[in-house]
Amino acid sequence: MFYLERLTLEGFRNYRYQQVHFHPALNVITGNNAQGKTNLLESIFFLSVNRSFRTRKDHELAYFDGHCFNLKGNFIKEGFNHAVQVEYRSNKRLMMKVNNDHFNRYAQIQNYPVIVFSPDDLQMISAGPSVRRRFLNLEASRLDSLYLKELKDYQRVLNQRNQVLKNYLPRARLEDTLSPWDQSLVELGVSLIRARVAMIKALEIEAGHFFSEMTEEKEKLSLEYASTVPYCGDREEMKELFYRDLLNKRDQELRRCSTLLGPHLDDLVVSINGYNTRPYASQGQKRTAALALKMGEVSLFHHKNDLCPIILLDDVFSEFDLSRKQQLLDFLNKSGGQCFITSAVDLQGMVEKLNRTYKHIVINQGCIRDETVRTGD
Amino acid sequence: MVYPGALKKLVEVLCLFPGIGPKTAQRLAFFLLGRSREEVVAIARAMVEAKDRLTFCEHCGSLAEAEQCDYCSDPKRDRSLLCIVQEPRDVLVLEQTGKYRGLYHVLHGALSPLDGIGPEELKLDRLVQRIEKLGLEEVIIATNPNVEGDATAGYLARLFNPLPVRVTRIAFGLPVGGDIEYADELTLSRALEGRREM
Repeated sequence: MFYLERLTLEGFRNYRYQQVHFHPALNVITGNNAQGKTNLLESIFFLSVNRSFRTRKDHELAYFDGHCFNLKGNFIKEGFNHAVQVEYRSNKRLMMKVNNDHFNRYAQIQNYPVIVFSPDDLQMISAGPSVRRRFLNLEASRLDSLYLKELKDYQRVLNQRNQVLKNYLPRARLEDTLSPWDQSLVELGVSLIRARVAMIKALEIEAGHFFSEMTEEKEKLSLEYASTVPYCGDREEMKELFYRDLLNKRDQELRRCSTLLGPHLDDLVVSINGYNTRPYASQGQKRTAALALKMGEVSLFHHKNDLCPIILLDDVFSEFDLSRKQQLLDFLNKSGGQCFITSAVDLQGMVEKLNRTYKHIVINQGCIRDETVRTGD
Repeated sequence: MVYPGALKKLVEVLCLFPGIGPKTAQRLAFFLLGRSREEVVAIARAMVEAKDRLTFCEHCGSLAEAEQCDYCSDPKRDRSLLCIVQEPRDVLVLEQTGKYRGLYHVLHGALSPLDGIGPEELKLDRLVQRIEKLGLEEVIIATNPNVEGDATAGYLARLFNPLPVRVTRIAFGLPVGGDIEYADELTLSRALEGRREM
């Protein structure tokens, strides 16, 4: 059992100071537009991942562009209380504390898993490959701590190698200078690609399962990793192929002054019934596919760690038809994880069909106006 | 807070030290103020003397008080072995082990195109000449186990390939006296790669 019991927000977005207690299973957060529903979900996500799902700039999260914010969450994991704290001060490094021990940003990314689905996630299907790479990188880092370290190193090797390509060295010296960076690029690149492919295979099963249930078995979701580097089962062989292709691309890379092969350019292709969703799928299909990827992650985490992540659903119920809403609620009910749902309208009628108690929280201008625990019957 | 002029200057200067922020600098400044004049002069003199007397050995680049360092001039050291490190302080650490009796070579950095450090900046042609002249049996590459250190090791291995010398890389692995369960995954996976027959 894993859930967030209590949350304190100080100077975060439009919350001056607010403490909230949550229900271990289901929390429904309602309020008019622009009152702070999504901000509340954002703060929970920030505690877990040390990054927002809406912006990459921490200072935007401070109360009306102030200089600091504090978040404190009490997670209950297998019966033990974990006090997770994040302190942001402008011009200082983000401070993260777990039970009063200090940690660097992202160091605890695996321990308090939170998965969010918001309307912006449509971008995962309709926007360019970088959005999908970011998704793959975040999820793979959370499932495998080696991945995060290799990703950081890869990025550094990539920057160094691009700098060599920009230096316009004479050809004789170029090969010698590039060779150690090629070696590291291939070594780390192959590791990243193999980790991504393995994760995508597992995710395809989980997301596919969710997707067919959502579409009542009418449609089939498939995932494929589109790599700039030929993939093959044997690691050493793959390294050789990567190396060979790098040599073939040398002239082109020198003209463009940048590395043209590797996981930093790869993509995830999401297809429905064999058709790529990006050009062909409808809005509704895209949204369902994006939701399937996220809920697939929930199941992956659940299987791997025997612990269901916390699920944040930002304004999803306005977007789906009735049968999909019902399927989603059934999935949430079965998953057993703690769930937060925001909505501009009261979901009472919908949620009560689940026959279980939940907490209803009403938000108005960055304050909690009303909290009630409602029983299902 | 308003400091008297001389104190302000002292705190500012102490802030230049690595790892010293304004608060520690202030503590150090008050420590100095609390000492006798003679002691403060002795501290200042030690700094100036170290700066004046210490240079880098013209052969290997480690710290020396003469043209040649103690390691290069010591006839008892094993002249068939050479260990390549990034910084002069790495030599001191290796010396403290007491296990290594060969010669050293300090690169004063690692390859990093982003910082403008290439083979010329590390004076690698001089290193090759030195290896040829010494007639070594083995070169041990002990650069740091990070992105730049690994690239430097890769470059050196390629560079020494035509030379009649055995090239080895220092092993990576677990800290001695530690528990496997506390090792991070990357260290542990590297330690597994570098396992050996018993």
